[in-house]
Amino acid sequence: MAATRARVSSFSRNVSTVTSQNPGLKHGPNGTMFISSGIPDLDKILGGGFSLGSLVMVMEDEEAPHHMLLLRNFMSQGLVQKQPLLYASASRDPKRFLGTLPSPPSSKGDKSSDISHEKDIRIAWQYKKYFGEPNFNTNSGGQQDYCNDFDLRKPLDRHFFSGNNVDCVSIKDSLNLTALQDYCAGFLGKLSRNEGNISSVGRIAIQSFCSPQCKYSNEEWHMLSFVRSLKSMARSSNAVVVVTFPPSLLSPSCSLRLQHMADTLLSVRAIPDEDKELAKLLTGYQDMIGLLNVHKAARLNTQVPVILEATTFSIKLQKRRFLVLECLNQAPVDGSSGSSYGTSGGCSGSTKGGTLDF
Amino acid sequence: MADSICRTLRDGALEGELAPTLTIKDSLASPFAFHVFSHILLQLSSHIIAQKSQSQGIVIVALKRSPSFYAAVLNMNGVDVASSNKWIHILDCYSDPLGWKEKIRKPVNVTNCSHQISLATSSFKTVKDLDKLFLVITDLGRGLVGENKSRFCVAIDSLSELLRHASLQSVAGLLSDLRSHDQISNIFGLLHSDLHDERAVAALEYMSSMVASVDPYYHSADGQKGSLDKSFSEQNFTKGKFNVRSKRRNGRVRVTCEEFKVEPGGISFAPVLSVDETAIAGLLPKVQFNLQLSEKERIDRSNVVLPFEHQGTGKPIKIYDGRRSLEESNSEANPISSGKKEDSAVGEIIYFRDSDDEMPDSDEDPDDDLDI
Repeated sequence: MAATRARVSSFSRNVSTVTSQNPGLKHGPNGTMFISSGIPDLDKILGGGFSLGSLVMVMEDEEAPHHMLLLRNFMSQGLVQKQPLLYASASRDPKRFLGTLPSPPSSKGDKSSDISHEKDIRIAWQYKKYFGEPNFNTNSGGQQDYCNDFDLRKPLDRHFFSGNNVDCVSIKDSLNLTALQDYCAGFLGKLSRNEGNISSVGRIAIQSFCSPQCKYSNEEWHMLSFVRSLKSMARSSNAVVVVTFPPSLLSPSCSLRLQHMADTLLSVRAIPDEDKELAKLLTGYQDMIGLLNVHKAARLNTQVPVILEATTFSIKLQKRRFLVLECLNQAPVDGSSGSSYGTSGGCSGSTKGGTLDF
Repeated sequence: MADSICRTLRDGALEGELAPTLTIKDSLASPFAFHVFSHILLQLSSHIIAQKSQSQGIVIVALKRSPSFYAAVLNMNGVDVASSNKWIHILDCYSDPLGWKEKIRKPVNVTNCSHQISLATSSFKTVKDLDKLFLVITDLGRGLVGENKSRFCVAIDSLSELLRHASLQSVAGLLSDLRSHDQISNIFGLLHSDLHDERAVAALEYMSSMVASVDPYYHSADGQKGSLDKSFSEQNFTKGKFNVRSKRRNGRVRVTCEEFKVEPGGISFAPVLSVDETAIAGLLPKVQFNLQLSEKERIDRSNVVLPFEHQGTGKPIKIYDGRRSLEESNSEANPISSGKKEDSAVGEIIYFRDSDDEMPDSDEDPDDDLDI
């Protein structure tokens, strides 16, 4: 059947990255499409964004609410680009969460400081004189961008989520997940992938889906089969599903199974407050609020895995408003101790760079 | 710090935020959670009486101890019990939690002990029904503080008893309902961690914003060690460590440790004398490169003249194409040597070889085509 139709653009390499019809979509490798996660740094780390049709799982840290930051940006990005959204959580009134979603910044004044920062780099390049001012791609901040930088202190305008495209479900009082599964099936059914162009793209955000107040939180196989069916429904639809769960509240085998089911697996971790050891070890500790690990990045339609250069990032709030992910800048460890990750800590305090002033 | 916990509870919840929740957990090795609980209860009571706290009343859900016990505790510590009806109310789930006394219809009237104490008490007979418990708690609280924006706090003694009567999901549901109730300022409860499995304790810690654990001063490692242990365990009878992990609003976790001592009059806290070196285990990947620059190195770097940087300063611009014209060879500066230090006069870029067994071909000066 494919042979009788004219070849659509997915396999050609000359298409510009953002599709002209839908600025919220981007073409990715191997015929996949990306939608933005709402955090520009995370999109860059994952190679473009979240793959359409994939299941993203975020492992929460029981001591920190950073998964909410990821969810908020994800949901806001969808609302700003007018994509239908389904949000489920274990609170009594999930609609209240929509009031905490961030808004894109209104003024463009913040961006100019970034440009001047760039000029501090001095480049030894003999063809520099042929160019005028370097052309920096700045986000115009409008709604037609692929990814917006969200201002976490500014709540999203109500008109974005008062329409019909937002659905909130509470999973607190439901005895099992069949109701939520029906909701998701209905939502994804409207976005099913058939041949032709993509009319609309949807997002599903499920927060803390196995939190202890849910009545089914003991039934691990039930939860696993729910996630499995959600993943298969998502695969054949134009949507991205983000599920957060606290792995410490599940049995290890269930938590591992959930991690394996994810196409993209992220985890957030808390950092101790006012910790002198950590302050010596990391630069920018004052601005950091947590750590983000990328365990898996989705690669659909291919057998080639993604190997990221770095998997641990620090979550910082720039000017207390914008979520920024940075690679960790660490003080060096004694070279002899090797580079294994996850061995018990105790980095020696006698680092070379005693004064890390930056 | 016990003081900072009391302050956090006193300040209560912000608008639209979940109420701060404290779980005090202990174990058989150091069973002093109730002392901490009553200490906090007394501190909060004094704040409420002095009207310095966000909450204006306390509802105590008494499962483990009778209401008269609380009256005695308050009396002993100088709180005026007689006038306390306005701000404290005890929900008596101790006398008859499952409603059995009603079912045993005796002809003789059993004197109801709750009449003898002066604290306001209501009895609750269906502890297994946590939805009803939630409604009763909120009704009592509203009765204490009124219908407007004022708030009250809830003290649960103890969460272990609740877990005995109801499932973890219901207790967690109760806690989450209490936390998201508009009129509740804070919640604190006590838990004996060795009575429950790890998942239950983890779930309750997940739902709390502060976890205070009462630990023995010396852990007896790996079973019996003879006489050494006995003297240590005697110390555990009165002293111990008070470790608090509190989740701050910015997402970081504050970890503090104090020593506590149980005295006849109550419990006292003191800062830890010996500093404990906590290792940051496995949080960060280990890196072997020094990516930072010291101040001197930064100054030196800014003194380096990069190739082609001087172009456009008035002299005719030439692109180097491998040949040197006469003029250029006259005015060239000295070429570069072989280290990676930077000079203070004119900066130089010095190149360290990666390893000794590099191929001899790579000995070519990589900067040969520069026009410095």
